[in-house]
Amino acid sequence: MNDFYIIFTASLVAINCALMGSFLVMRRMVMIGDAISHAVLPGIFVAYYVSGSTASIPVLIGAALSGILATLMIEWLTAKARLQSDAAIGIAYTLLFAIGIVLISKFGANADLDQQCVLYGEIEYVSLWLQPIVGGLLLPQQAIILAIVCMVLIIAIAIGYRGLFLTTFDPNFALSTGVAVTFWHYFLMSGVSLTTVVSFESVGAILVIAFLSGPPAIAYLLTEDLKKMLILGCLIGISCSIGGYYAAKWLNVSVSGSISTVIGILFLITFVITSVQKSKLDVITS
Amino acid sequence: MSNPTIVEAHNLTVVYGRKPALWNVDFELPEKQVIGIMGPNGSGKSTLLKSIMGVVEPTSGFTKVYDQELSEVRDRVSYVPQRQDIDWDFPASVWDIVSMGRFQKRGLFKKLTAEDKDIITESLEKVNMLGFSKRQISQLSGGQQQRVFLARAIAQQGDLFLMDEPFAGVDIATEEMIISLLKEMKTAGKTLVIVHHDLHTAQSYFDHLVLLNTRLVASGPTQDVFTDQILTDTYGGKLTTIAKISQELENKEFPIRYK
Repeated sequence: MNDFYIIFTASLVAINCALMGSFLVMRRMVMIGDAISHAVLPGIFVAYYVSGSTASIPVLIGAALSGILATLMIEWLTAKARLQSDAAIGIAYTLLFAIGIVLISKFGANADLDQQCVLYGEIEYVSLWLQPIVGGLLLPQQAIILAIVCMVLIIAIAIGYRGLFLTTFDPNFALSTGVAVTFWHYFLMSGVSLTTVVSFESVGAILVIAFLSGPPAIAYLLTEDLKKMLILGCLIGISCSIGGYYAAKWLNVSVSGSISTVIGILFLITFVITSVQKSKLDVITS
Repeated sequence: MSNPTIVEAHNLTVVYGRKPALWNVDFELPEKQVIGIMGPNGSGKSTLLKSIMGVVEPTSGFTKVYDQELSEVRDRVSYVPQRQDIDWDFPASVWDIVSMGRFQKRGLFKKLTAEDKDIITESLEKVNMLGFSKRQISQLSGGQQQRVFLARAIAQQGDLFLMDEPFAGVDIATEEMIISLLKEMKTAGKTLVIVHHDLHTAQSYFDHLVLLNTRLVASGPTQDVFTDQILTDTYGGKLTTIAKISQELENKEFPIRYK
């Protein structure tokens, strides 16, 4: 049952990240996920300090708020200070992460906050916190939160698909037709923030980035339709979770590390195969 | 006889960082004509279209369309951005792109109706791309991409079309197809404002010309402003070189298009 809990949790993270990551990849801003997953640290600490507990809800709220603060900061630095977006991301998240570290080392000497855990997660232990749901079924607490977020994201994408599609493909045209491009930017960023915050608690920041960028990038190589790319990205993420988990068990290594590695290898294989096919096609058509 | 004004700009200045892209530009454009916007690279042609379309905020001055704020008449104006600004490897089909032209009328949340689909089909037919509607956009040639963009603008069913370099990097067949389509649209009462590069074709394509070099050099009927003096003012020394080369090529009967 433990196997199932871990794979189930990782798969939910994979789905959430693939849904958001597909849009981020097409907007060339995947690293914003990295930024958010680090920038949440001060928010987590402040929430912990104020509420006096590491209970999920206040921590999640604190994290989500500092995640959104990070996206606002990045947007401000790009728009007003005219920085390149990657430079803006670098400045914003290192600053926020550093503030978090400084706060913890100053006031949180005995805090139950582990900086390691922020980076690598603790997916091996999800089954320690089981929650009964309908029908006497037990599920990890993390998985329940992730499942709720997953439903929110699916509904948001179903409703906002056209807006996200239009503003991702051609923001200038969107502006010319009176579409509020900035609104859709923050619409997506709220989703990314939510996803990152609930995901990194279970799998760590590194795997969040791997899930945000890897499966969508693989799906992008394989399909020519954004909708198919979303679905395929989810399926690839789930497969990598299953494959990565059993590889970790077999080799007795970190689960997060193993899943990230599987994603990376799968990308390389897909890239080689599609490039070979493409060059064959070019020979035929030319 | 002069047509009523459709687009006007007053004291329009746009500054990126510290560098002005447009400086104190003033003009009025007549309705129901094919209007060319020309000038050397970096002379603010694209910026001009973008500020008319509200994509770029002017630093000072303003533009009006149909004597109103753009937001009042947005549904009558279609914009064709520069083809190179777009990621053509985006996972989308020709149909997906052209259907964007209907989003404004239908809103972002309602399903496209049968009428919308008819309009999209018709627009694709007009640019000879109906057979490609399921094609992924990365598999199109430059000319085909440009026709898809044109179809999207036609699907918007506006009266005023602002096009940023529709002839850049397209094949001759596409250029001829587009120009005959534009003339057809003009006959149907549409106004077309086109950023253009090629001086050779300017006289045959445009009824009215706006010549820019960050400042406005001239704006008026083509026969009045397409003069050696004004062109030299616009392009500076560069033009004399271009003119000499094309003269030389013509003398040697080099096969270049010269209308």
